[in-house]
Amino acid sequence: MMKQALAGKTAFVTGGSGGIGAAICERFQAEGATVIAADLRQAGVLADGVEFRQYDVTDEAGVIASFEELAGRWGNLDILVNAAGIEIEKTIEDTTLAEWNQIFAINVTGMFLTCKYALPLLRRSDGASVINFGSYDGFIADPGLAAYCATKGAVHALTRAMACDHGPEGIRVNAICPGYVNTPMLQSFFGDSGDIESLKQAVRDVHPIRSYGEPRDVANLVNWLASDEARYASGQLWVLDGGLSAQVQQMKL
Amino acid sequence: MNRLEGKTALVTGGRQGIGRGIVERFVAEGARVMTCGRGARPEDLPAVVSWQTTDIGARRDVENLGKAVVDEFGALSILVNNAGVQIEKTVVDTTDADWERLMGVNVTGVFLACRALIPLMADGGSIINIGSISATTADPGMAIYNASKAFVQGLTRSIAVDHGPAIRCNAISPGWIMTGMAEAGFAVASDPAAAQRDAIARHPAGRFGQPADIASLATWLASDEASFATGQCYTLDGGMTAASPLNPALF
Repeated sequence: MMKQALAGKTAFVTGGSGGIGAAICERFQAEGATVIAADLRQAGVLADGVEFRQYDVTDEAGVIASFEELAGRWGNLDILVNAAGIEIEKTIEDTTLAEWNQIFAINVTGMFLTCKYALPLLRRSDGASVINFGSYDGFIADPGLAAYCATKGAVHALTRAMACDHGPEGIRVNAICPGYVNTPMLQSFFGDSGDIESLKQAVRDVHPIRSYGEPRDVANLVNWLASDEARYASGQLWVLDGGLSAQVQQMKL
Repeated sequence: MNRLEGKTALVTGGRQGIGRGIVERFVAEGARVMTCGRGARPEDLPAVVSWQTTDIGARRDVENLGKAVVDEFGALSILVNNAGVQIEKTVVDTTDADWERLMGVNVTGVFLACRALIPLMADGGSIINIGSISATTADPGMAIYNASKAFVQGLTRSIAVDHGPAIRCNAISPGWIMTGMAEAGFAVASDPAAAQRDAIARHPAGRFGQPADIASLATWLASDEASFATGQCYTLDGGMTAASPLNPALF
């Protein structure tokens, strides 16, 4: 058996029951961490030993209560993963103000609130790692995802700012910027655009590695960033996209 | 741990510094490792590591390196293009000889190694190029070094696009890693000790990097854990380039 990368560490994962979040929790658990999957509701089956916590990133009082309880129980927090997020598949013209405010409330303000109230616990770690979810959409746009792209740009800037401010306190902060990963969110993005299988093939073909990602691919990098192996990694936006954004537009010539 | 069990690796420039750090880590992770450099085998190189005397910028030498890889391993699974030269000069002060020496290693050497060794990655492989944060933000007085590292980033993307899915290719862009190269960088300061203190204060991590830090990321990129990672230039700099260079606390 391989040495466990996260033995003895405590981890809190928002969006922990989503496609990518659940894979992260499962990996953390396998690597020896004590894990809480925090989410609005438990969507699927969590890995054995992962604790579910009902958690709304937009509810400041609930966020405060969660970390107060953890302060008493764990005393510190070694790993914080901000994976909670939603996507709205619209241009800005079709996006209502309520929708705009909602996606920022979850993807950006929710990350701010979770980090703000987790900081006292993170400071008490021997070496804390915060991993935010940005997106390659924070660099280049997918059509019809305007508000989503904007929230991910905000996440990228917040990641650098937090790395800068809290690095001296022993807290590393990075963002993972996935490309196409096989999750319910991706299925929703495909929407009614056509036959799902042919779209999947088209999506595969546009990647240099001829495949889109699986949640476990993302969990592999989250695990590395959370571990002490990555103790010099901070303030970075880690694109993980199977080579998609290394290319220019793939013209059909 | 044995994350590279069953893999074969060639690390260029393994005599010292970052290259040596990667060589030692790859061995510890179970890979069979060859390294190369100009001159004789270093006396302190672990016995399990193969050495091939090579001028990486010389076509004939690189062809021989390819033959040595075939003789030793058959097929290659990991190539780390680490060998690099740094010259602390502006464009105006750079001589023809400086240009040829630096470009010969940092540019021609990476090209020659990729051309000779990609065909040996019959079962797929992972190429890891050592770039630099200087590729995107200039270090003063290191003009052609900075430019050579921009070449590395461009080539990294092209190899990922042209040779995927069998071959993944990524670059690591280190910041200030404490090696002879970094010490040479500080040596040009009027007060090297003060320059080092100032530089550390600009790192959110509160320290310079070590070769082991780069070896950690190289190991991950070389391993099957990174099977979705390709075409990227990953910066590992203790947070330095995440912060603005204009820092009022250091005025």
